[in-house]
Amino acid sequence: MNLTPKERVLKQLAGEEVDRTPCYSGMGNVTVKGLDELGYKFAFVHGNAEKLANLAATSYKFYGYECAVVPFDFCVEAEALGSEMNPYEDVAHLLYPTIKEKAIQNDDELDSFPIPDDLANAGRVPVVVDAIKRLKKEFGDELPIGTYLTAPFTLGGQVYDLDKMLKYAFKKQDLINAMLDRLADVLISLAKIYQEAGADYITVREMGSGTDLLSPRLWKSLIQPHLTKIFTALREMGFPNNLHICGETNMIIKNMYECGADSLSVEFKNDMKKTREDIGFEPLVFGNLDAYKLLVIDDVEDVEKAVIKSLEDGVDAIWPGCDIWPEAKPENFKAMVEATKKYGAEKWHRKQK
Amino acid sequence: MSEEREKELFELLKNGVIEFEEDQVRDAAQAVVDEGIDAVKAVFEGLVAGMEHVGELYEQQEYFVPEMLMCADAMYVGLDILRPHMEGRDLGITGVVIMGVVQGDVHDIGKNIVKMMFDVSGFEVHDLGRDVPLETFVEEQLRTDADLVALSAMMTTTMVGMKDIIARIKEKNPKARIMIGGAPVTEEIADKFGADGFAEDASNALKDAINMLTTLKKIQEEEEYGTA
Repeated sequence: MNLTPKERVLKQLAGEEVDRTPCYSGMGNVTVKGLDELGYKFAFVHGNAEKLANLAATSYKFYGYECAVVPFDFCVEAEALGSEMNPYEDVAHLLYPTIKEKAIQNDDELDSFPIPDDLANAGRVPVVVDAIKRLKKEFGDELPIGTYLTAPFTLGGQVYDLDKMLKYAFKKQDLINAMLDRLADVLISLAKIYQEAGADYITVREMGSGTDLLSPRLWKSLIQPHLTKIFTALREMGFPNNLHICGETNMIIKNMYECGADSLSVEFKNDMKKTREDIGFEPLVFGNLDAYKLLVIDDVEDVEKAVIKSLEDGVDAIWPGCDIWPEAKPENFKAMVEATKKYGAEKWHRKQK
Repeated sequence: MSEEREKELFELLKNGVIEFEEDQVRDAAQAVVDEGIDAVKAVFEGLVAGMEHVGELYEQQEYFVPEMLMCADAMYVGLDILRPHMEGRDLGITGVVIMGVVQGDVHDIGKNIVKMMFDVSGFEVHDLGRDVPLETFVEEQLRTDADLVALSAMMTTTMVGMKDIIARIKEKNPKARIMIGGAPVTEEIADKFGADGFAEDASNALKDAINMLTTLKKIQEEEEYGTA
């Protein structure tokens, strides 16, 4: 079997047999090396489709990472709904954009906040769409083109006060659920827009919902229904997908699986062996490398060991558990991809039978 | 004032915090003031005892962050009533703390919970808020001569900024102690970054605040009695 990265990734997401685990992710993977080679500054790429596309392809070009993913920040959806983003253009060191002004200021708008009629042209959505089209044109035959969305609860914290949202999750849960349901509809519309632009797969990131923050009980009543709605819609539109959650996820892994995503991804705080005990070996689970420590701090020799351990613990793709921090050491990044090529069949649980 | 009545009110304060019953805390705190009961004792045996139990519930994964936020609200209802009656009292701890969430990060829930513990324990807290530029931490430390700088980051993407802040503060004032915390921070990273302390249970945990306080008390005792 001689597969391109695109075939490997998409066949696997469709549940077909592939030669080895891919090494990729559905999240940011831009590096300082990529920025330097192109002469870009991180703060200035987010609103520029050409720069987004060029930069998104660099980790494939330099290291053989098996995807190109846009955007790189977590503000696109919130901006489309009226939040204001801060790209930190005046800060010398590299920062990810944040939201400085939230779209929903009044509680009585929670279940009725305005949604633009033309989402495809709201905020930076057209920039992301353009970047996807550019990537598709240049790399569409060989590389899977990925994009992501911040899921309803995470997005909620980007359009409305997070403190209040967490408290209302207890005191006014119906209201918060109405807001999250409305956000889920927005996200489904955005997914359609990205799919039409040519994205091959989509990651839905409920970043702030691990059990570091929320109880499994609250997860089930507040997070799960909206994710289920989104993944049902993605399945109907035939859009290959992944559900990603950061932080501690072992207590909710069964619920995550019930949401109906094609694949799940988790970070290093997830005990993968325990995950396999809980949901078995059939579901596709990606992860769970420590994206920061392994690629930025550790020595290059540590990388191969970590890749082998993830495979032996039961992952289906070597997938850093978070956006790759741009200061990733080039030699570590390369070693991660090479170790996956070397051991991605031999040590993979699906090849053991 | 009978000891029983004291106990009863402290119990109401404590349980009010644990059950996030703001009205109960308000009434009990007011009764403490009206009946001339020691406000400092009420804070420590009522409110702080309640928050300590909340910390345990968090550790046992009974409580999570939203529950803790509601407990904190209840605690502040009590503290706002009792604090004016605590002035001039020796609370056992003194110190100046600067705290803030590093630039690029707008998540301040964890920082606010830790701040609450410093507040309630009588520290002079300079809260720089969230999304704080590196330079501001350095300037504020110099300006206030703070004993401790507490840095928080919720995301891996901003945690890395702490490294520079720590180096810069240490360069200008080697005596300042620096503690870091937040979801992505680990002990190993704290070491690599050169921090003096690390809030172990990183995700906004109350326990961290208590750990920090204990560590600080120790530092102060060492300084007071000499470490020789």
